[in-house]
Amino acid sequence: MDRKLTRRSFLKVAGVSATTLAVAACAPPSPAAAPAEGDMAEGAPSAERVEIEFMNWWGSHREALMDEAIANFHDMNSDVQVNNSVQPWDGRAERAATAVASNNPPALIMTQRVETYQFAHENLILPIDDYVQASGIDPDAIFYAGEINNQRWQGQLYSFPLPTGGGNTGQYFYNKTVLAEAGLDPETPVATWQELTEASRAITQKDDLGVTVMGANLGGGAFGFGRWLYCNAGQFVSDDARTIMFGSAEGVETLEWMVDFTNEINGGIDNANEFFAGTSDTSADHPYYNEKLGFLFTGVWQFGHLQATDPDMWADTSTWGVGQMPYNSNNADAAHAGVAGLAGSWGYVIPVATPQDQADAAYQWLEFFGTHEQGGCLFLFNQGRPSPVAQCNENPAYYDDNPYWSTVLKSLASDVSVAVTPVQARINDVVGTIVDEAYFGQHSPADALAKGVEESQRILDEFWAG
Amino acid sequence: MLTGMQRYLHHHRAKWVGFAFILPWILSALWFDLIPFVTNLYLSFTDYSVSTSTPDWLGIENYREILELDPLFTKSLGNTVYYLVLGVPIRLVVAFAIAVLLNLRIHALGTFRTIFYIPSVVPLVAVSIIFFGMFNARYGIFNQLLILLDLPPVRWLTRPEWIKPAMIIMSTWGFGAQMVIFLAGLQGIPSELYEAAEMDGGSYWHQLFRITIPMVSPVIFFNLIIGIIGGFQVFASAYVLLGSGGGPLNAGLFYVLHIYNNAFSYFRLGYAAALSVVLFLIILFFTVIMVRTSDRWVYYGDA
Repeated sequence: MDRKLTRRSFLKVAGVSATTLAVAACAPPSPAAAPAEGDMAEGAPSAERVEIEFMNWWGSHREALMDEAIANFHDMNSDVQVNNSVQPWDGRAERAATAVASNNPPALIMTQRVETYQFAHENLILPIDDYVQASGIDPDAIFYAGEINNQRWQGQLYSFPLPTGGGNTGQYFYNKTVLAEAGLDPETPVATWQELTEASRAITQKDDLGVTVMGANLGGGAFGFGRWLYCNAGQFVSDDARTIMFGSAEGVETLEWMVDFTNEINGGIDNANEFFAGTSDTSADHPYYNEKLGFLFTGVWQFGHLQATDPDMWADTSTWGVGQMPYNSNNADAAHAGVAGLAGSWGYVIPVATPQDQADAAYQWLEFFGTHEQGGCLFLFNQGRPSPVAQCNENPAYYDDNPYWSTVLKSLASDVSVAVTPVQARINDVVGTIVDEAYFGQHSPADALAKGVEESQRILDEFWAG
Repeated sequence: MLTGMQRYLHHHRAKWVGFAFILPWILSALWFDLIPFVTNLYLSFTDYSVSTSTPDWLGIENYREILELDPLFTKSLGNTVYYLVLGVPIRLVVAFAIAVLLNLRIHALGTFRTIFYIPSVVPLVAVSIIFFGMFNARYGIFNQLLILLDLPPVRWLTRPEWIKPAMIIMSTWGFGAQMVIFLAGLQGIPSELYEAAEMDGGSYWHQLFRITIPMVSPVIFFNLIIGIIGGFQVFASAYVLLGSGGGPLNAGLFYVLHIYNNAFSYFRLGYAAALSVVLFLIILFFTVIMVRTSDRWVYYGDA
């Protein structure tokens, strides 16, 4: 029989073909390669060399340092080949998400703490407890408590920390030249909010177009608010991560101080933001490197950025200094504090779709990089940054390069580990918005926080109910 | 002697060849449009995240959350509509005005056309970075111009009320593509119409409003629809200039940024799918309205 080819039958054929291809491409990955106890990478060397892709964002001058750490690993582990796969920063979150969920993922992916929790919550990454147990190491004895706990979700360990997430906010940087020009004592860093306010008032200069020299920018968002909250004996969320607590009296007092400071000293949040527009702490035109900013509240990564961006300033330690985060001296309970894990807190996770031999090799590299002195310790030391491994920070060479090293160690000790959940990114955005609303005068700090607490608690309740 | 199959192929050869030519388009439309669309529609009713396991069916829960619980839905939609209502007409008027000028018989016309078209082929990210500098309150060219004119400088990207105007200014810069389409439309207008108008004493403005604009109304219609669809999907420029949060007070949080945040910051891909379905429906609604009302103001000649 002579069958006619109709448009409909053609489309049917084409549709079936495309659907078949789609189904084939979307087939679920092979079952998760859960590590068997005792099936450890550090066991007997395998016959073949296992090659793994290490997906990370350690670009720029850090790439060569990472290659050095990998070379050290290869010297001691001939059975594993680690390929350093540095990714561009743009689109980082979607790259990590699509990689971790793919059928053929990199064996090890660098993720922030909240992402690690999100992936762990979705069973997309492997816990490493069995590997750790088989290896015989004790992470709690190796790492600062806040650091290693940031990599645990629901009692299971998913990574080793690196770099120091907990050292993000415990210290600040100041520019001694700026302080001296304002008639302040450059050898006495400010210790309290009240001292910071007075020092900033003395430093800050403005013209018709805004700020020309700034004392300090207190920052915004959940991270900016959070770091000052903990310096006022406040708490972001309860230790069980079920109750939002930033709307407390300490929270209101903190946000009021931030708003008052910004309005009075800097002339408003838009003035403060405009002062930094187009710059970053890795660009040479940043005010801190140009004697235009007195106090810089940033993380320990700043040591590396200072070293790479302004080597002359880094070398001349009489031009810069480090202090511990100022606290509210009007609150008897307040003290220097840093916030660990509210943002950042990087780790390295093994996707479940990773083949068993690669997962084993990935852990082998992770343990070396996370704990070995020729791995992460050296990698961070070369950047002038502290390690999450307490023992690495005892290296006397740190003191040679950095006369403020003891302050850095004190700040690490003052870090508080904040409990977060996989929905923390949403909560952070809510807090960012309400802090903005307070800065721009849309709500009083108390009303803004009340609104933020309500919305954040709803998100948290929804998560725990789910 | 021909077999049945050979006879079949011989008789229907032309048809098969035709279908073979359009097969790549059919397959790519199915693969890149229809299948993702249907999948997205399904996922919008689920709690899909990045997990590879089968997502749970939520029914209309995502849509209920969009309408009842998500303050950033209305915020981002409002920002996008503001951008559209001001940005699309301004861009159309500028593109049309420049096209009219470039349709005149002047010296070095080709050079001018090239100059005006170049901005639209510059990558959006590069344009955004250039404009970031131009919007700087202290050193940017816009504020320098304002100061020259004795006007107060503006905080383009740090005051919430100026963020959307800044984005509109930036989007207007890339009018080249629409200008070229207008230019093609203008060159298709029969010169007899202008000659007749001149003989009847019609002024330049009469000719513009009575001949030029009605005759290019199909092009205006096309550019308007494309502009509205593009405006609803604004993303890259805002992302580069303001970050995924959309700047202070979410003033530049456009709708697609909100979708992006839900998908890739919060990994709520099911919810992001629902947001994108809503965006599709909104665009469809405006497009249908435009098409339905077009016969009242679009002139298609003898049709």
